[in-house]
Order: sequence, then structure tokens, then C-alpha cells
Amino acid sequence: MQSFTNAVNRLSQALAVVASVMLSAAVLVLCYMVARRYFGYSSYWEIEVSIYLTVGATFLASPFTLQTGGHVAVDLWTRLLPGRAQRMGQIALALCGMAVCLYLAWIGLELTLDAFATGERTNSMWKPPRWPMFATMPIGLGLTAVQYVCQIAALAAPDTAGEPVRHAGREQPGVLS
Amino acid sequence: MSELEIGGLILIVTTLVLISGLPIAFGLTAVSVGFLWTFEGVSGLNGLARTFLDELSGFALLALPMFVLLGALIGATRAGTDIYEALHRWLVRVPGGLAIANIGACGLFAALSGSSPATAAAIGRVGVPEMLRRGTPAHLATGAICAGGTLGILIPPSVTMILYGVATDTSIGRLFIGGVLPGILLVIIFSVYAWAVSKWSAAGAATVARVAEERVYTLGEKLRASLPVLPLFGIIAMIVYAMYGGIATPSEIAAIAAFLAFIYVAAYYRVVTRARLWPVFSAAVRESCMILLIIAASALFSYMMSLLYVTQSVADLFVSVEMNRWVMLAVVNVFLLVGGCFLPPVALILMTMPILQPVLEAQGFDMIWFGVLMTINLEIGLITPPVGLNLYVLRSVAPEVPLSTVLLGSIPFVIMMILFMVLMCVFPGIALWLPNMMFGA
Repeated sequence: MQSFTNAVNRLSQALAVVASVMLSAAVLVLCYMVARRYFGYSSYWEIEVSIYLTVGATFLASPFTLQTGGHVAVDLWTRLLPGRAQRMGQIALALCGMAVCLYLAWIGLELTLDAFATGERTNSMWKPPRWPMFATMPIGLGLTAVQYVCQIAALAAPDTAGEPVRHAGREQPGVLS
Repeated sequence: MSELEIGGLILIVTTLVLISGLPIAFGLTAVSVGFLWTFEGVSGLNGLARTFLDELSGFALLALPMFVLLGALIGATRAGTDIYEALHRWLVRVPGGLAIANIGACGLFAALSGSSPATAAAIGRVGVPEMLRRGTPAHLATGAICAGGTLGILIPPSVTMILYGVATDTSIGRLFIGGVLPGILLVIIFSVYAWAVSKWSAAGAATVARVAEERVYTLGEKLRASLPVLPLFGIIAMIVYAMYGGIATPSEIAAIAAFLAFIYVAAYYRVVTRARLWPVFSAAVRESCMILLIIAASALFSYMMSLLYVTQSVADLFVSVEMNRWVMLAVVNVFLLVGGCFLPPVALILMTMPILQPVLEAQGFDMIWFGVLMTINLEIGLITPPVGLNLYVLRSVAPEVPLSTVLLGSIPFVIMMILFMVLMCVFPGIALWLPNMMFGA
């Protein structure tokens, strides 16, 4: 299980790196667009590319965000429970989170396949196909569900004392550091 | 079940789910899917993926990750320390000057980071230990940082205002400019308070005596410390100028600001190695992923509310009630104040504005003005328990100060903010004068 968790964590971090590159690219594309407009050219593909990149970055960063406790949550009553019940509560919450992510990944996959089959395109001048943007949703949220599996495994393992669920604001060392 | 009863049930279930510890984005999704499935059957779930994705693919929302990146770039460097040091050198001889330097540094840093906890963390990390060391009363030291940090969502660029603009379809540029004057006024009000406490309290008198022994910085030393802060001022000036001139949309301005900040941070603070870039970018994608998924989930939530006809029924109920408009405004603000104590501003705005907007418009309130008012209201939620993000930040930067002192210290600032909101109701021009002058009424 530990090697599985390590592999998932490494994949999550790799996707976060991809998301960082996509976000930076979106910044550059928008700057390029403003610069071109300054010289009197009109924009053509820039807006859509930057939207695709940002939406993609959002979904692909989701497993890493969960891994590092970045999905903000308000924990008012579970932490008041005594030790064992608290752990059960955390497992139940992680199961709920996993179910939601699986559901979102599933409807995202349906939409992607549908858009791919019908060749759906945006209604701009450039008309790019929409499925590549849609596809980041099942990928990102699917892996977020897998990340939840690792969390549940860590919570259920008897030897992990303390607090296995990481809380917001605590940075994990990344693949690049 | 009538629509209003369903609405009550939604309120209870949503509250329970959101305080359970489930991430807000996933909790909102679960509530929305659950209610749609219960009341509309499987057919009610059609098109949810499209609603989720369409919400994220609007051009206005692009500004958000860009400004988050800007904040991460500034937050990962010593910029906070530099801003603080520069103001400290100018203000060292003023009673309460240290606290004032902190409030000012918060305002300036807030303008760049757009995030309240980030501001409280960056300035508080240097400022609180320094203030305590030099004898500033602990409650003033922590209160100043707590309250100063909240300015992050009022002074542009503000993540909260981008969302408000998207949710209510009002001009983000106007909202940004509308927050400038209230932001500056609050900095002044907070500073006057810090000055007064330091001048007249016993502990403050000791500080003043000690300050007299402090070294005086020469003009050259003051200017040298100010130098690294100037490019940051330049970026803020560029943002305001570009908004004023209507040269670019908020999203484009955000991208250019992030680009400029990156150049500066790479050149001056040497954020060029992988080890130094990774914390910046991982924080940026993490933060924007968190916010954007909450936004998408809130879209599912308002879709559910509207499909079940709850939004319309509750809004109709509010509109039909014969109530003085100021009483109505007070009720709305108390509701938001309580909500803000439990939920992050992002989620609260997106969940409540579909209902509140028609009600407020029917009462003839200006939506730009209300956006600024609501932002100040949500700031208060950031420094009140149980959620109060800034309080936790203060706990981590100054663990030696007991939580009760931190809470006590923030109360005067909460009172000042509430009084300021009343002042804004009496003089709406505080928020509207600047945007109306710039963009026309």
C-alpha cells in the first residue's frame, strides 16, 4: 500500500507541475494578446487557449491540492470527537469526498466522450474542439478520488498514530525541491 | 413540500455538511446532487457536468488564478519584510509608529496579494515579534495585524470582488476602484486608533519612552530601504492606471501584473532556481484550484436552488415583505456577518447573491456600493471565531500570545469596521464617488 501511495503522490505532484506550466503559459498568452492589440492586431485564438489552459490547470492541480490539504474545509464538530470516533468520522468524510470526486469524474467522462463523438466545437472564429478541455475534468477529479483512497488507507492503518489527514497551509516537499 | 420549506431544508443540510470537515467544493456538490436527485429524480441531474465546466470557462474568471499567482510571487519572497522595513524607518518616531507601519504594510501588501490570510502571515511574521520586542501592547500588535490583514480583500486587486462581479454581473473595474477609498480610510482609522492607544495607555507610554531612545534613520537610509518597494508600487499603479484608462480587461491586467511581478521577483529576489520556483507555483495552482472548484460547485448549488424554484420564492418573499429598506439592509448584513463567521467569502458570495441581488435591486440599492459594503462585512468574518482565518494565522506567527488576547485585540477593530459600514450607509459616496468620477455615473 505504501508504494501505491508513493506512486499516487508522485503522479499528483507531476500533474501539479504540468498545471504550473499551463498557468504560466496562460499568463504569457494573455500578455502576448495585449501586446498584439497595442500594435493594432486583433485576437484570434488567444482568449480560448488561455481559458483552456486555466481550466485544465484547475482540474490537474486537484489531486495535489487534496494531498497537501489545500481544499479548504470547515471542521467544526469532527475534531471534537474522541480519538477513535474522530478517526471513523474522518474515514467517513474521506469516503464522501471520494464518492463526490468519482461522480464528477464520471459525468465529466461522459461529457468528454460525447463531445469527442459529436465533434463539438466552441462558437468563436477559431472553433477549437471542446473535448480536450473537458477531458481534464475526469483525469483530475478521477485522480483526486484515488488520492482519497490513499488517505483512507492511511487512516485505516492501525500503526499511523497522530493526525494522518494533512491540514491546510502545511507545504509538502515537492518533486522539484 | 413548498419551495420555502425546501429552502429551509437546504439551509439546514448545507450548513451541517459544510461544517463537517468535507472540503467545501465537494460538500456543495454533494448537497446539490442530493437535492436534485431527491426532488427532480435522475432527469434533474442532466447537464450537471456542463454547468460545472461552463462556470469555469468564462473570461472574467481568468483574472482569478492570475492574481493568485501574483500574490504567490510576492508572498514567497522577502517583499513583505522589505515593505515593512521601509515603512518602519519612516515612522519610527511616531507614537504607535510601529503598529502604524504594520497597518500600512498590510494595506500595501494586501493590494498585491489580494488575500487576507496571506497578508496577515507575511506582515505578521516580521511585524508581531518586532512589535512585542519593542513593547507594543500585545493586544494592539495582534489586533493591528489581524485587522490590517483583512484589507487584502478590499484594496484592489481583490479575489472577493472578482467573484462578486462575476456573480452579480457588475463591473469588476468599478468594484476595484470602489474599494480604494474605503481601503485607504480604514488604514487611516486603524492608524489613528493605534496612535491613540500608544499615546494614552500606560503600556503605550512606556513604548513612547523607549521609542525616544531608538536610533533615527537618515534620509539616505530611509530612501535606500524604500527602493526595493518602488517596483511593487509601480505594479499597483499600473493596475489602477490600466483599469482607469480602460486599456485592458481585469483578466489581461492580472496577467500583465503577474508577468511584471515575475520579472521583478526573478531579477531582484533571485527566484529563478527550481527549489525557489516550486513553492511559488505549487502555492499558486493549489490556491486557484481550491477557489475555482468552489466556484464551479457553487454554480451547481445555484442551479439546483433555481431549478427547485427556491431562489425565486425566497427572493419574492423578501420583496413582498413590507420592510424599511435600511432594516432590510441591516437584516441582510447580519445574515452575511454570521455566515461569514463560518464560510470563506468565496462560497458565501456565490451562494447568497442569486437570492440577494433581486431583493437589493428592488429596494433601490446600488450593487457596486453593496459589493464594497459586503466585502467589509466579510472582512469581519475573517477575524471572528470560530473560522476567522486570520486568527489562526496570528496563532502560528505569534504562538506566545494567548488566543484570548488576540480575540480581545481584534474587538476594537471589529467595532471600527461596523461603524465604518454605518458611515458608508450615510455617505454612499465613500464607495461610489471614485468609480463614478472615473467611469461616469
